[in-house]
Amino acid sequence: MCALGYYLERAGLMTTGISLVRENAASLEPPRTLWVSFPLGRPLGVPNDAEFQHRVISAALDLLNRNQGPVLEDYPEDAPDVDLEDSPACPISFGSDATTWQGRLSAELADLSTWYQIGLGRRGGRTMVGVCTSNIEEIIERFAADLDAETLPDDLRWFKAAIEDAKAYYVEALTAQPGAYDPRQTYTTLWHETQLGAALRWYYDRFIAHPQLSGFARIVLPRDAIEGTVTPDKTEDTSA
Amino acid sequence: MVRLSELPEYEREHLISKVMPPLRPPAWTPQAKPIEEMRIALITTAGLHFRDAPAFSFTDAGFRPIPVEADANDLIMSHSSVNFDRSGFTEDVNLVFPIERFKELEEAHKIGSLASIHYSFMGAGLLPESYEDSASQVAGLLKKDEVDAVFLTPV
Repeated sequence: MCALGYYLERAGLMTTGISLVRENAASLEPPRTLWVSFPLGRPLGVPNDAEFQHRVISAALDLLNRNQGPVLEDYPEDAPDVDLEDSPACPISFGSDATTWQGRLSAELADLSTWYQIGLGRRGGRTMVGVCTSNIEEIIERFAADLDAETLPDDLRWFKAAIEDAKAYYVEALTAQPGAYDPRQTYTTLWHETQLGAALRWYYDRFIAHPQLSGFARIVLPRDAIEGTVTPDKTEDTSA
Repeated sequence: MVRLSELPEYEREHLISKVMPPLRPPAWTPQAKPIEEMRIALITTAGLHFRDAPAFSFTDAGFRPIPVEADANDLIMSHSSVNFDRSGFTEDVNLVFPIERFKELEEAHKIGSLASIHYSFMGAGLLPESYEDSASQVAGLLKKDEVDAVFLTPV
């Protein structure tokens, strides 16, 4: 993002914006940046809170009034923590005694499908699923076929889109009920309790050991899941 | 919260590895009009696009257009990084791409107007210099649309 600010400004456009990692903005020195302390993935702080979002935007827009730079300002307000006691309970009891990946993943998908539909209804039909050309049943079936045969996917472009849709489907099902969710809790469930999480860990282990495809492993599992404690709000790709 | 001092060591090391020197020479466009008169575009690096647009590939310095009249609720995300929360975006597109907030600012005359087309990039896996061509191309498109300022959001 810092690089975009630089090149746009060089072309004669004013820029202002948000940074989620202060050290990154401090080093790259984009013209005007507001650092916020919010979790990665949440640059405006709080979903469905227009007043909170407007306060952040107003602070970032105000940087356009500065007459010299670079400007790096710290936003003083933290995003409120979610009270876990008020969060809806996980709607699924994970666990299957099937002996194949096909059996376990298919059973899990069947359990989740009702909750996915409930989430779809609560969100007015909005879903993040749709990056992949295959539907969720085909995606899970192909994953299971790979795992049962102990082979890696041959179409990595398809695989990248497929894991995106699979994760979106699971997250939307896990957060189907109304209420505030702590993303750390959601991702802990996804990575450590589901068969999909176990499947992606299986892929990760094979990719990381592959002489040509080890780089692909980093888009399969987050670093915190690899290290053992899932906190998906604490890492970021910041090169743009 | 993302404060390096609160992160595990492996995470601090990763983020510090992203620290790079600034691009040179410094770039700065002075303010020519008050914010209330500015035409503003949004650019996100969250890897957003509509379903009929190509997904972002593993490393991809390209961009995808987001027309202002399109329904932002139809945007999906194909960012390569798995290291950030997507559940907030699932609940509210404005958390990442605050287009409704800016439409409200336009209606309240707190900004002049909104660009006809906004843009999404994907910030992952490439050096800053990799974006020079595509960012310059978008700058040209924005200037044709008479945009004065760009509001940038990461993910």
